[in-house]
Amino acid sequence: MVPSRPAYWEIEPIWLFYALAAVAVLVFGAGVARRVVGWRRGRAQLVLPPVGRGLEAVLRDGLLGARLFRGDVSAGLMHLALMWGFIGLFIGTVTVAVDHYLVGFLTGRVYIGFSIAMEVCGLLLLIGVLWALVRRVVQRVPRLSCTADDFVVPIWLLALGLSGFGLEGARLVAQEPAWASYSFVGHAMAGAWPEGERALTAYRALWWGHAVASLGLVAYLPWSKLMHALLAPATLFARDAIRTATSGDEEVVRFGRHQLLHGDACVRCGRCDDVCPSTGAGEPLSPRACVQASRRAVTTAATLVAQSWYCTTCGACAWACPLSITPIDTIAQARRGLIEDGAHVPPQLAETLERLHKYDNPWVAKKGQKGAWQDRSANPAQAELLYFVGCTTALDTRAQGIARALTAVLDRCGLAFTTLGKKEPCCGDIARRVGELGLFEEHRDKTEKLFDAHGVVELVTSSPHCWDTLAHAYPGERRAAHYTQLLARLLEDGRLTFAGKLDSRVTFHDPCYLGRHNGVVDEPRRVIRATGAELVEMEPHGEASLCCGGGGGRMWQELPEQGQLAQRRIRQAVATGAEILITACPLCLIMLEDARKTSGLEDRIEVRDLTELVGRALEV
Amino acid sequence: MSGVLVIAEHRHGALRACTREALGAALAHGSDVTTVVLSDQPERIAAELDGVAPNLTLVEHPALADYNPEAYLPVLADLVGSLAPELVLLPHTSQGMDLGPALAGRLGLPLITDCTAISANDDGLVVRRQAYAGKIVETLVLRRADTTILTLQVGAFAEAAPGLQSVTVERTVAELSPRHDRRLLEYVRAAAGDVDIGAADILVAVGRGIGKQDNIALAQRLADTIGATLACSRPVTDAGWLPKSRQVGTSGKTVRPKLYIALGISGAFQHLAGMKGADTIIAVNKDPAAPIFKVAHYGVVADVLEVLPALAQALAR
Amino acid sequence: MQIVVLAKSVPEISEAELEINAEGTGIETEDLVLGINEWDNFAVEEAVRLREAHGGTVTVMTLGDKEAEDVLRRALAMGADEAIHLCDDAFEGSDPATVARLFARVLRDRKVDLILTGVQSSDANNAQTGVLLAQELGWGYATLVTKIERAGETLTVHRELESDTEERVELPLPAVVTVQSGINEPRYVSVMGIRKVRGKTIEQLGLGDLGVGEEQVGAASSAITRRSLSLPDTSGAAELLEGTLADISHRLATLVREAGGLS
Repeated sequence: MVPSRPAYWEIEPIWLFYALAAVAVLVFGAGVARRVVGWRRGRAQLVLPPVGRGLEAVLRDGLLGARLFRGDVSAGLMHLALMWGFIGLFIGTVTVAVDHYLVGFLTGRVYIGFSIAMEVCGLLLLIGVLWALVRRVVQRVPRLSCTADDFVVPIWLLALGLSGFGLEGARLVAQEPAWASYSFVGHAMAGAWPEGERALTAYRALWWGHAVASLGLVAYLPWSKLMHALLAPATLFARDAIRTATSGDEEVVRFGRHQLLHGDACVRCGRCDDVCPSTGAGEPLSPRACVQASRRAVTTAATLVAQSWYCTTCGACAWACPLSITPIDTIAQARRGLIEDGAHVPPQLAETLERLHKYDNPWVAKKGQKGAWQDRSANPAQAELLYFVGCTTALDTRAQGIARALTAVLDRCGLAFTTLGKKEPCCGDIARRVGELGLFEEHRDKTEKLFDAHGVVELVTSSPHCWDTLAHAYPGERRAAHYTQLLARLLEDGRLTFAGKLDSRVTFHDPCYLGRHNGVVDEPRRVIRATGAELVEMEPHGEASLCCGGGGGRMWQELPEQGQLAQRRIRQAVATGAEILITACPLCLIMLEDARKTSGLEDRIEVRDLTELVGRALEV
Repeated sequence: MSGVLVIAEHRHGALRACTREALGAALAHGSDVTTVVLSDQPERIAAELDGVAPNLTLVEHPALADYNPEAYLPVLADLVGSLAPELVLLPHTSQGMDLGPALAGRLGLPLITDCTAISANDDGLVVRRQAYAGKIVETLVLRRADTTILTLQVGAFAEAAPGLQSVTVERTVAELSPRHDRRLLEYVRAAAGDVDIGAADILVAVGRGIGKQDNIALAQRLADTIGATLACSRPVTDAGWLPKSRQVGTSGKTVRPKLYIALGISGAFQHLAGMKGADTIIAVNKDPAAPIFKVAHYGVVADVLEVLPALAQALAR
Repeated sequence: MQIVVLAKSVPEISEAELEINAEGTGIETEDLVLGINEWDNFAVEEAVRLREAHGGTVTVMTLGDKEAEDVLRRALAMGADEAIHLCDDAFEGSDPATVARLFARVLRDRKVDLILTGVQSSDANNAQTGVLLAQELGWGYATLVTKIERAGETLTVHRELESDTEERVELPLPAVVTVQSGINEPRYVSVMGIRKVRGKTIEQLGLGDLGVGEEQVGAASSAITRRSLSLPDTSGAAELLEGTLADISHRLATLVREAGGLS
């Protein structure tokens, strides 16, 4: 006899199955419809990325689950097993349906191969599910949430897997096909079943049980965290989507559709909380909670009011999320709502924004102070580019060191540059990050005009925050670089050379807006190595760098104990045994210098900007 | 118009010292000085003015036990009408700020508030006061036509020296005719805080120049190092960074420590009034024109946030 | 409740070093930024909160030059419903008594329950206008208020006195209340918020609209015949410590020890 398996063997009445299936599909449909209606309440706000890039993300993070392996290899393996087991079995069911209703082809060797594949998939599913339960119940991995939904789903899948193999075993006993051994798992379990008629009864019971459970899962899917399985392709595809910002004329600031969709796709895995510098320092912020709170489509939900201002906008949450959900974006949207409303804006932040509005900088309530750091009187006639100093570098006494060091280095390299001196406007980055888009637009327009008036075509800046805003949020054909990129280029061109070697052991703190947001990780390291200094790396570093806590407007707030984030980072630096902690951002510099003092680590490590290191190396 | 009328200020049955300063100012200006006391027991208040107030007018009524402008205004209006003084003086206190403009408005008389000096020249009455939070001094010349009402900055004038013969000119029982029903329900004393800054020998006080709430910890550490108590100026309590019990100033506490270190405090008058009696005052402020430097003995023109760590280091040795 | 808030446009001076003009009659304002008087900002916030709690309208009013309009726009963005701008060259130099008289003319025939304003302005520091207005209107009033509660037609307010003490005062409406700083936490006003109220009309009133003669306003109407400004006398003031930060700290440390610190 040719190996095959008739569908619905010994099962009746089949119309009952179809009826149940219809009900399941309707409930599934209702669930999906409800979600879609919810998303449509949001604002359409995305410009999708090119198809190739989107598909690549779906493939790498979806089918291979690449991000899941980050920092938790066992999670990656567990999910891969579970997911591919499930997908395999789903494809198997579809194949059986095609074979039964359309074109019969599951016979002979094809069928054998199919049987074996299904056994493997079933096993994978069981292994994955059991592993998932062990992680939650036995290992109690801290970041995992333990709501009812978190247990219902794996237990349901477990029931499906076990009943599937169980009914197979019973069927094999009742059917006794010659090729039974290929279905090795069911075959192994066959011994558990009694012979003859009792096996058939068991088989029928398990078949209906399995059917109801499967259809039930289909119906339950859109009401549970399993929804992420359907939404993942969308969230992963849109990872590099451009968010069109809400602008000053919007009537109501509310969440975008993609943000609401994110809320539904979130499975509460907690990886965002794990990498968030604020959560890690014991502050009230939880990116996971913010994403979950956003599902109610109200930007000022109590959670968001309480937590939004702690965000440093470092982006670690979006970087860590296996579904490419962006809590940073959700929080940014909530901030816009809070600014609009006005009642929940921390007073220090409100004062800072007022200063920005009136005095063109967030630091001092006085005009015309931005040229104070420099001695140079006139700008050279033939300049290659503009050095946009930035408010913090120009006004903070410690950060002014960056400007002095950088200008000295550029002079040494023979690079002619101009500065705007006390006429330099604020790029508006802070306003942008805290959600005051109206104020940001004002600054952007004013700065654009000034740049145009001065014929600025190329510029370099010392702050990665300014750079990110000038390079990505400003229109116009200007080329904007961060100084690490410029120095790396000068190194390559041979205009920056070092006569000797620096005899220092250093470590590098990647500023969030350089490394994680923009992938500029190599350039600063190339420069450091060129000075001859020995570079040791902190854990974490590069795109995984731990934020110093200065971004997102936090430099100008008075959140209690807010030096803690930087203190965590400086302890990581000290642990490397480095003598100097190097960074390339004025805010990082200020935060880490403060942390160095308040942690009592002044004698253990120095904090310097990369320009200061280069300056030192040039003296050797 | 001649003579000066001084309106005495009292609370909880006791004369307030600022009245003696007003008397000092009045007697420096002229000799025809009348002091009016409105109270439920004016003799009791008048006893405290014995020897400093030449002519006393006592007005009695149970409803005058506590300050109420609606009770005071008709009486004072009558008195000013009948006395026709050149000047009416009262201290620039919570009472003076409430009563002065009302009296001026009721009678249509000119009023200059918060005066620090009074004189006269051929052109008329000359008064000096501060503006722009103490950063500017105004010298005003007024027409001699009407009775002029002046509220006087507390501490700007020396108290009248005793040694006069006090004569009670008039003693009447008032018939009150308030135009409005403003009623004092009760006095509310702020809950005593955990700390009595008035008892400290050394105070480290922070102001707006401390920047953010976090930095107060630095000041606290300095205070702990030198055995001082932490205090503050009004903007810090307004912002909720420290409790009101730590506030130095007219609406807070008046202190007289051996050493007062003012960090990032500009020296608004209300604050100065609360601490200028300290034996040694050191002020740190980045604005060289800050009024605090007028009362400080030693000053440092620098950013508080730079001085604090450097001072902590210097003290560590 | 029909609430009117009186707000003033003043230069921001907290971190500025002031200079006096050549004639000695005013300060140099070129480098100064204008904004709403801080006390009046508290008053606007208080008015909006009262309206949120009790219903009604909030009208904000100012007397000032063209630039003072920004103060009105900001108050509208904070939640005020209407705005009135008394603007006329002739008003320049008016003293508080004149300003109060002008405000009274505007408000006398309108339905108003409560007038709020700050205790004083940060430039002149006169602390008169609110109370003078109460007298012009023949209303009750209270100054230095740190808390306002309303029950029907009566307010209960807290007044700030000296030495950590307050009065609790009952004040029937209509009334004028001058509010002390710290009475509330004013909400932030976003640029978007100000843009949103761009279209609101502001009632403009000049000399003619108020039926007042030129001799009744401006500097001429004041009892002050001459006003001259000067910088405070800094002689006899603090001995300024000079030198490097280290030197200064050392000197300070010595002073502290001399005063008995470091016990």
